Parts: sequence; structure tokens; C-alpha cells
Amino acid sequence: METKEEDLIRYRDGSLYCELADIWIDPSKPVKRALITHAHFDHFTFGCEEYISTNETAILLKKRVGEDINIKSFDYGKEFKINGINISFHPSGHILGSSQIKFIFAEEKWLISGDFKLQRDETCKQYEIVKTDYLISECTFGLPIFKWDQTNKIANDITKWITNSPEKTSLLFCYSLGKAQRLLNELSQTNFKGNIYSHGSIYKMNNCYKELGIDIRDTIELENKKEIDVLKGNLILLPPSLSKGYYLKNFKNIQTAFASGWMSIRALRKRSGYDKGFAISDHADWDGILEIVKKSEAKNVFFHHGDSEALSKYLSEKEIINVLSFGEKI
Amino acid sequence: MSLKKFSELFLDLDSSNSTNNKIEILKRYFLSNEPIDNSWAIYLLTGKNNKRFVNGRYLRSLFSQIYGYPQWLIDQCYLKVGDSAELITLLLKNINTSKNKKISNINLDEILSKIVPELSELNEYEKNLEIKRIWETLPEDNHLIFNKILTGTFRVGVSIGLITKSIAQLINIDEEIISHRLMGNFEPSIDSYTFLINKNINLEELNSKPFPFLLANSFEDKIFKHPINDFQFEWKYDGIRIQLIKRSGNISLWTRGQELVNETYPELVEKMSCIKDDFVLDGELLVWNYKQQIPFDFSFLQKRINRKSPTRSIQIKYPIIFIVYDLLEINGKDIREIKLENRRIELEKYFSKWQNKSEHNSFDIFKICDLIYPKDWSEALTYKEKSRENNTEGLIIKNKKSQYTSGRKKGIWWKYKVDPMQLDAVLIYAKGGSGRRAGLYTDYSFALWKDQELVKFASAYSGLTNIEIKELDKWIRKNTIQKFGPVRSLKPEMVFEISFEKIQISKRHKSGIAVRFPRITKWRKDKKIKDADTIENAYEMMQKIS
Repeated sequence: METKEEDLIRYRDGSLYCELADIWIDPSKPVKRALITHAHFDHFTFGCEEYISTNETAILLKKRVGEDINIKSFDYGKEFKINGINISFHPSGHILGSSQIKFIFAEEKWLISGDFKLQRDETCKQYEIVKTDYLISECTFGLPIFKWDQTNKIANDITKWITNSPEKTSLLFCYSLGKAQRLLNELSQTNFKGNIYSHGSIYKMNNCYKELGIDIRDTIELENKKEIDVLKGNLILLPPSLSKGYYLKNFKNIQTAFASGWMSIRALRKRSGYDKGFAISDHADWDGILEIVKKSEAKNVFFHHGDSEALSKYLSEKEIINVLSFGEKI
Repeated sequence: MSLKKFSELFLDLDSSNSTNNKIEILKRYFLSNEPIDNSWAIYLLTGKNNKRFVNGRYLRSLFSQIYGYPQWLIDQCYLKVGDSAELITLLLKNINTSKNKKISNINLDEILSKIVPELSELNEYEKNLEIKRIWETLPEDNHLIFNKILTGTFRVGVSIGLITKSIAQLINIDEEIISHRLMGNFEPSIDSYTFLINKNINLEELNSKPFPFLLANSFEDKIFKHPINDFQFEWKYDGIRIQLIKRSGNISLWTRGQELVNETYPELVEKMSCIKDDFVLDGELLVWNYKQQIPFDFSFLQKRINRKSPTRSIQIKYPIIFIVYDLLEINGKDIREIKLENRRIELEKYFSKWQNKSEHNSFDIFKICDLIYPKDWSEALTYKEKSRENNTEGLIIKNKKSQYTSGRKKGIWWKYKVDPMQLDAVLIYAKGGSGRRAGLYTDYSFALWKDQELVKFASAYSGLTNIEIKELDKWIRKNTIQKFGPVRSLKPEMVFEISFEKIQISKRHKSGIAVRFPRITKWRKDKKIKDADTIENAYEMMQKIS
């Protein structure tokens, strides 16, 4: 079944849009008013007239877009009104400041999950169960082959990977906001004694987290890539964009790994070109998605960000939940 | 050895892309484990006698039955993962078995020599129950290995060559010796490992050692400047390069990959033992069409490769020949420093002696290579073009004054291959790949014009770079007309240059033609589909060569 014209939130021009409030959620083009679920680059755009987000996301956004942007920010759980619609942010457990957004209008509740996870992560607030009538959920990992291991097990695996090759510099590629800091927090709880270096883009985000009082391991900023060769036995965190192209040419004594949920599948691991993959994700696994669908008590569910075919079919068959598709192609 | 230790080794090997790294990992493992452990590891990794106890499809439907996941969901997951053993391992993580008592340190020996073989003696119901019991009592990090043992699929890029190299480095002796020791069935036992790492080389082992192979370079135009009589011309066969060694009566057949293949071609070994002299011969092994005196296609040879101890009927159905082109040693005397033209004289002399001594014509299996005598270079080119007629790939040109050195030295041997045949065709179907290419559309079908219609004429899956594969995959997803299970029919828009080795009439194909070894050689983004070739073009090509 498709969404209807009169639905509170619809897809328009590739983003979620609430016509009644004339408000866009994570728009990909500049708009008048944008609600931002979190500060990853694919969830906001430069040049909006007004941004609205949680307090933490506002701080990160200013770092990324510019200090002079027009941004309103709210505490988690605090309701505010736009055109008669009650709106509030709730923790989604994805990264620092990330949120689900709840809309209430004429006693009808809508919830946009944003990117979310249920797993333990000490660098951000735990996912909050929010009850709703309509749920719009991400489904990046919507197949039962995705079942995450405990985070501390992954952290120990990373430690082992580094210490098993003391004659090499270990390069771990990870997203510079969120994943890097989560890894640094987890690594501080292992027995890894070596130094950790961060690429500038990650180092900047680390400082943000620290200013906001998040406990992560100290790192040294990697100032010159020539150092990579002499940092044997140590760990360097780099953004994934640097794994391709010329950045790593001419380095011989290195081993590389990528920290991402996709790394749980061997074919993807092999194709990625990294030596090793660590399956750690800031998104929910199959069980996680099923759990929030159930606990939200939503009668109508939409999926976006991912291949929702299997998940939709499964929920309609097994859980008798009404899974709708957006009228407009994503 | 505990299954856990082997699981760790398996994962370590799998998370390395470098050969040297893998060798280091293996060496470290061999050094830190008991002989019996090492011998098991070699047995499993070389996959020599790995048997398949159940197939992947069986395992998938069993999982669906036991745990109530719909079959379509498992099938959809399989498209992403591409390997049943891994798929089940990932799915098992969803099954809560914490109530079950775990077997903490199960022995690999027990799994391989008892538990798994006994599975095949159970009826289906009991077998399913037993697999379920093992899944639920094995610790999670052993699931992958167990499932791989069940499905007999140990592919981690560890070839017998890597094992050979690691052992050779470990005890510091030549790889050929280790190759020889690993020949035949490797039984997982303390004795077999102890024998493998014995630093003392016995005489028989020394006698089996091949010489380094001399390899041909690609043809260079500057050779045209030299007089034609400086060179010896042979057909370039597409078979397996073999060094055949007979010393003190013992015969060894070595491939270029340092594999000892005596057991794959027993009829050749048998015939050679009738000869009195000792020698080392260099040549090509082929499956031979004895009626027409030309080789069969490489696909026939593929029926013999990797098949140890072939039955009599296989030997008759796919008759082999060893075409000799060089003599390197005769009765203990190394003659590699003698000029090629003189080695050839020696070879012919001995060959006629051996042939005269042999009874009846059973000596066919072994033949000296024919030489070609072009008058000038333009005639040499004509020979090259004609090479398809006798199922060869072109010419080998050898400097008559050259010695038999090792490796790919310049100015000694050249290969002059005939150009492949090519047609520009339109992509019309795509199918998902498996294994490493799972989740991507990597199997393609291509069509040619027949009147106003595009008719499928070949399928190909090799030739594109990884980047091109990804790009094409994206395009395929956006330009699908219809899905039939795993196959998508596509908007005709993309043109590719398809190369192939042979073209012939075929009643089985809708297009009426069949091509051999089709592969993609270029993504013709510059071409529109109207520029693609027609079936008539293909027919013309066929007439030209026959």
C-alpha cells in the first residue's frame, strides 16, 4: 500500500517532508527549515535558512557547516510547536546528538527513527523506546544475516589484530564522526598499550566529543602521512575516503582494516580491498529493527535507507504489521 | 587439535591478501603446534581429500525447517552472502542456544574421523537432528569451520603451493622436494608430518627435481629484421607444460606450477617406463584427436586436470598425448648448454631409437613436436593465421643458437599468438554472481542483431575491472525491465566488445552459433546499440576461417 496525499509526512524530492509545518527532515537540498536528526554529512546540507536539532547535534553542525548558521536546538524530550504540530527529539543511539523525531498532530503520532542502534555505546545516549501510530524507520541492515557481536569482543579483536603484527603499522578506517569515537571509547577498556593516532578530520571530532564530556582515549594527531611508516605496532584511525587512490601508495609495512557492519560478509570484505574487516555498526541489525517496530506499537510502518523488500514481506507475513511504501520513489 | 585453534588459523589466513603474509601465518602456526595438529591443518587447507557430506541447498532448507525462517528469506540472504556454509554461520547467530551445554574443546580429529562421517550413515531424520545438535552445542566461533567441513568448501586462497612454500622455508630446503613429499594422498598423521619436515633429503627425492622452466616472451616486431633461418618454428599448443623426468628408472611429471602430476596421467608414466634410457624432456600435455592428429579443445583437457587416478574409460574418452619439444638431460648428462639446434638433433636421434624398440603402435602417447619451415616472414605470418585450423594458438619461435636457461629471458623464445576473434554485442541479461562476487550482477548475456531483433549469442563474466563491475551493477539495477528469479532483463543500451577463441554453428542456440571462451575485452561506451554486430557478421567470420 502506498502513502496518501493527506499523510502528515511524505517523501518529496528525495527527502522526508511535513507539508503542514513546511519542514524538511534531513533534506539533501537547501530549504527554508530543516530538522536534522544527526550531523553525518549525508543527513544535512549547506545553505538552509534555518536548522533545528538537539543541542549536541547543533554543536557538531556548527563545526561542519559554520558557526554562523541559524540554528535552534532543544533538549531531548522537550516538546516544541510548529504550525500546531508538537515536535520532540528522542535519543536514537546512533552517534552523539542523534535523534528520533516525534510529531503529534490531531492525536495522531508519527515517529521518524532516524539512524539508530540498540547496542551499547558509551559515547551517546541509549535508544529510547517511543510509542507511535506511524513509524518511519531506516533499514540499512534489514536481513537476518546481520547480527552484531558484542562491542567489547570487537574491541578485543582489534587489539589482537594490532598486537599480532608488531612489525606493522595498523590502519583502521572508520567514519570520522561517531564510529571513530565509539572505537576510542571501547579501546580504552581493552589492554591495548600502544599509541593511537588520528587523522586531522577525526582528531577534530574527538575534541568536540571531549568538550562535551564524552570519555574517549587520547590520540595524537597525525600531522604528516610520512609518519605512517615509522609508527610500527601502533594504531592510526583514518577516514574511509583515504583508503582509495594514492594516499597509501608506497607504504609497505602496513595492514589495513575497515570498521563497518558490511564487513560481516566475507564477499564484501574481500571486495573492499582491506586486509581485514571488523563488523561493528552504528545501525541496528535485523533483530534491532524488528524489536523497535514491535515496541513502538506502530500499526503502520515505512522503511527507507536500505533494501526493505525482505523486511517488509517478513513483517507482513509474520507480525501482521501494515508495511507501506512511499508514494514517491526514494 | 582443538577446532578453535584451527578456526583461528582459518580466519587469520582469510584476513590477509598477501601471499607472503599467508606464508608467515602458516609458518607461525606450524612452529607453535603439535605435528598432529599441523598435519590436520595441511589436510584440510590443501583440500586434497575433502568430501562433501551435504550440499549447500540441503543445509539452507534444513535451517529453514528447524528454525522457522521462511525459505524465501534464506534464499534472499544467500544472494548477498554467496556461500551456504557462511550464510548458515551468520544466521545461527540469531539462534539463542545459551541454555545448551557447550562442548568446550572439541577435537578436530573427532569431528573429521567420527562425527561427520557417521552422519552419512544416518537416515535423513536422524541426520538432521544430529546436525541441529552439533550447531547448538558447538561454540559460535567454530560454526564456520564445521559448516565448511560439511559442505567441503575450504577456499581461503591457500593452495598446495603456499603450504609447500611455508614448509620449505621452515626447514630451509627446496620447494620441489616438499612438493614431491606432498604428492599423493596426504594422510593426517604424526608420521606424515614428520616425513614432510625431515631435513634429510634422500636420493630418490633429489632425482625427481625438475629444471627451472624456460618461458617464452611475447613477440616483438624487431625479430622481423633477423633472417628467418635463425629460428626454429613450432605450433603453440594450448595444453599443460610438463617436464618429464626419468632418472634411475623413476618417473616424475612436473607442471610449471611445481605440481607433481604422476597420478593424473598414469598411462603416460606407464609408457615411459618402457624406455631404457634416463632423460629429462620438456613438452606439452594435451588431449589429442588421434584421427585428425590435432589437439582437442582445452575444455577436453579440463576433464583430466585435477582428476587423480582416472578410470580406464576416462583415459579412453579423453586420450592424452605428450608432445616433446626439448631434451634437457640424457642418461645423467645435463645438455642444457648445448645449442637448441643440436639438442633437437639429439632429441630426434633418441626418439627414433625409442620408437624402433617399442612394440606395436602403442607408442602414440608420446610424440616429438613437428617443426614448421616458413621460407620468409610473410609465410610465417600465414602459418600463424592458419593455426586455428589445427587448434593451436599461434606459433612459438625459438632462437636456434640458444641455450636452455631459466625464466623469461629475452631473445630466446617468443610466442606469436593469433589475434582473438571479436564482435561488438549488446548486454541484454544480467545474473547475480556467487562467492566473492555475491550481491553484484556479474554474469552477463550478450546479443547480436538478427534482422530487427537482438538475439542472445554468448554469456560472459570475466574481463571487467572491479570498478567497472560496480559501475555496471548500478546501471543494471536502474535499467531492469523485468526480473525472472535471479536474472534481470535489461534495457538494451550498453555495447561490449566480446572476444572468443572459436566460432561454430550450433543447433542448440537460438542464434545458431556457439563461441568458445567468450570474454569481455572492452566496454564500448562510445558505441550505440545500432553499431553492434549482426549475426551475419558472425557467419562471415566463420566462413573466413574454415
